[in-house]
Amino acid sequence: MSKGLLFSIEEFALNDGPGIRTTVFLKGCPLRCAWCHNPEGWLPEPQLMRKKERTETCGFEMEASDLAARLLRDRDLFAQSGGGVTFTGGEPLMQGPFLLETMALLQDVHTAVETCGHAPEPLFRQVAEAAGLILFDIKLADPGLHRRWTGVDNVLILRNLAALKACGTPFVARVPLIPGVNDSVENMRATASLLEDAPSLQRVELLRYHKTAGAKYPMLGLDYRPGFDTEALPQVHDCFTEKGMKLLIL
Amino acid sequence: MTERIEKLRAFLRGGGHHRFRRTPEELGLDGLSARFAAECLPDVERSARMLEALLAAEQPVILEGERIVATRTISRIPSVFTDAEWAEIKAAHTLHERGTVSNISADYEGILRDGLGARRAQIATRLEDPGLDEDGRRFLKAADDCITALQGFIARYEDCARANGLDEVAEVLRVIRSEAPQTLHQALQLLRMVHFTLWESDCYHNTLGRFDQYIYPFYEADLRAGRLDRDGAADLITEFFLTCNKDSDLYVGMQQGDNGQSIVLAGRDADGRYLFNEVSRICLEASYDLNLIDPKINLRVDKDTPLDVFEQGARLTKRGLGFPQYDNDDVVVPGLISLGYAPEDARNYVVAACWEFIIPKNGMEIPNIDALSFAGIVSEAMGHLPDFPDYDALWAWVDGRIKAECRRIASAHDRLYIVPAPFMSVLMGGCIERARDISLGGVYNNYGVHGTGLSTAADSLAAVRKNVYEDKSIGAEELCAALADDFKTRPDLYEKLRFDGPKMGLDDDAVDAVGTALLDSFAEGLKGLRNERGGIWRAGTGTAMYYIFHAKDLPATPDGRHAGEVIPANFTPSMFLRQRGPVSVMRSFSKQHLQDAINGGPLTIELDDSILRNDESVSKLAELIRFFVRRGGHQLQLNTLDKETLLDAKAHPELHRNLIVRVWGWSGYFVELDECYQDHIINRIKYKL
Ligand code: SF4
Repeated sequence: MSKGLLFSIEEFALNDGPGIRTTVFLKGCPLRCAWCHNPEGWLPEPQLMRKKERTETCGFEMEASDLAARLLRDRDLFAQSGGGVTFTGGEPLMQGPFLLETMALLQDVHTAVETCGHAPEPLFRQVAEAAGLILFDIKLADPGLHRRWTGVDNVLILRNLAALKACGTPFVARVPLIPGVNDSVENMRATASLLEDAPSLQRVELLRYHKTAGAKYPMLGLDYRPGFDTEALPQVHDCFTEKGMKLLIL
Repeated sequence: MTERIEKLRAFLRGGGHHRFRRTPEELGLDGLSARFAAECLPDVERSARMLEALLAAEQPVILEGERIVATRTISRIPSVFTDAEWAEIKAAHTLHERGTVSNISADYEGILRDGLGARRAQIATRLEDPGLDEDGRRFLKAADDCITALQGFIARYEDCARANGLDEVAEVLRVIRSEAPQTLHQALQLLRMVHFTLWESDCYHNTLGRFDQYIYPFYEADLRAGRLDRDGAADLITEFFLTCNKDSDLYVGMQQGDNGQSIVLAGRDADGRYLFNEVSRICLEASYDLNLIDPKINLRVDKDTPLDVFEQGARLTKRGLGFPQYDNDDVVVPGLISLGYAPEDARNYVVAACWEFIIPKNGMEIPNIDALSFAGIVSEAMGHLPDFPDYDALWAWVDGRIKAECRRIASAHDRLYIVPAPFMSVLMGGCIERARDISLGGVYNNYGVHGTGLSTAADSLAAVRKNVYEDKSIGAEELCAALADDFKTRPDLYEKLRFDGPKMGLDDDAVDAVGTALLDSFAEGLKGLRNERGGIWRAGTGTAMYYIFHAKDLPATPDGRHAGEVIPANFTPSMFLRQRGPVSVMRSFSKQHLQDAINGGPLTIELDDSILRNDESVSKLAELIRFFVRRGGHQLQLNTLDKETLLDAKAHPELHRNLIVRVWGWSGYFVELDECYQDHIINRIKYKL
């Protein structure tokens, strides 16, 4: 039985897959995206967050069985609404064994995993096969820019994307729209190309950058200097519907 | 919305019609009560004479584009008694709120079916009874005078319409002056006249009941006869809704916007048919399009209500008006039947000004006559905490105290006096037959009692049970001392209790069961008690404004609440709850035996409006509401607002004139609220969605 480190469990998450879902946030992430709105999900250990009313510890441990039991309390609602549980983070695959164990304990409940794709290939394949839906983040197509803005290149990510396309598990591609970083028509076109020939692609979601992303940095004692113009509105280029992909802009 | 309605809406929002208003003093109506007193006029005659005088002084005003007419031009309704007389009345009697008939639901269905002339004929026949006593005769004459006055008022509007070349409007007015309406236009115009007159007769919180049910036959007849299509009907219904916002700033209530113009849609009949019809749908659309606070919409739902209906409701929720409010027939109807209501009346229930369940036509009920303070009783128990050897002893004390308080309340409202309302009586079941004014009683004369601070009390008791009796981590004396000095010397206890204590709203069976026990005790305590009118006492989960009064002098409580700090309104979790989300809250607040505490009072959940950005989210919200209903929750109110906007609105009211919020069961413009209500809304729990 393994223990996981979480930083939040949110009910009635509306944008994390079909139906009414509970989203579990696992702590720890190998990337450092400049626009990250969950910086408390970076470190794989508990840390202090100074909020207005008081200072809180962010991060708590939970046994897979306890987490599963708690999530299963809502199985009636999941069944009624065609919903389920979504794991995100941070990067949930940083805690692979815990993730797989919890998913197995959820039995017939629909599971979704949101991932940045930067994970060992065998683990990624295992998770992709176990999940009912993968929410696959694609931040930038160009490996150099990817390194510049997230701290790692996307070689591993693209290999895992190929594996995902091959394995047949339904997936959603999620692209954050960051003004001046990845919202160019070139990047969108390149992203669309990466998603070609994937019958299991459900749709592409473009998530507009939100200014509140910076809100938590000071609570963690961090500076928020993302290096792009946070006041600017991102461009929205649809290079997807022309290729027959469904598009949702959030 | 058609262009006509849009223009009319803009005109009314701009207050263009206010210039027709005059005060009673300007009209020479301020001396009437003194004249009545000098003449020693009986009260019921005063009510009729006052209404006659007011309607005669109203100046017919038809605004551009209006097809449903009647605009109030008198700014205030004078009382039928002088101040000196009121002092005498108050010395001899108790009064409920303002002392006039309020918060009941008239038999609109009946008056639209029969027409005004038929009511006069009925009165005439009744007056032929030689066995009538003088009071009965006097009442019937007063009732007849009221109808005559209304007919005269309608005739003057008819003349005005004709003079302005508005033949269609004039013809509608000619028909409804005496005859039963045949068309949708006629029905809505008569409804407007009747509703207008209720306000004019100083009745208040005049609800509109099952609008979709009593209007549908006219809609259907018009469509069948080819007189109207759906769009034409929607246009008229939208205009009727608009009229509810025309004079509403003159309507009395506890706060601006608290005028009780609620309507109730759908419901299930005895044969199991779900009564959501095309008019119900038009109502939801009209309210969405108008984006105004009146009428406030209630949607009767149950476990078998189609998802599509919930989706229609969720779409309106997205508007941010604070309605529709959802009422669960699966809980309310059996609950009312077990309280002794006839099944057909229980199935016909409507919602009063805020959320109390009342019976149209037959109920002369006072569903908000008093309130029991759960939090106050638990706080009082803390004074004796060291004397209780275990939790059972503490609970026994609380239980006994709740029941004693029920008995006290039940004996505190005798010698009630209500100003006669002969016009309302024309619209209530059995008044003409009994020859008795509705102010003296109807078929049902039940009183309802609110219960404030339920979650504060439950969280407090659960915290004491856990810390003092189970873990023994806090001593009884120690806790008493900390509460007495408002945690000043014990910030550690404050933190522990406020943020880490057990709370309702987390789907924690142990603390939720304390909430259940408190409500059960309340319901049991009122069971079997009778009021002086022969009615029963109903326990409920609402709070109205009592939650403000009850919090003010309340010392610190073991849930980590500071002395004087607010307690939650209605049937809602603590403000200190670090919530998991609406699902756990719904689970916690649907475990109680709500059928037995069915006076009304919703679970209120605030939703950040950002969640409803797309249709998918609206459908998910619909599923969530359905989930609550299937779990056996009785009543649900959803608000959408975000905190930043509210703070900005507080600082710059001029920039947020249209911001609408809903507090304890009603919607109002945020900037018009007193500061304490504003602060409360701002402090309410936010669901991070
Ligand atoms: S992958 Fe997600 S959690 Fe990790 S840094 Fe990027 S945005 Fe943040």
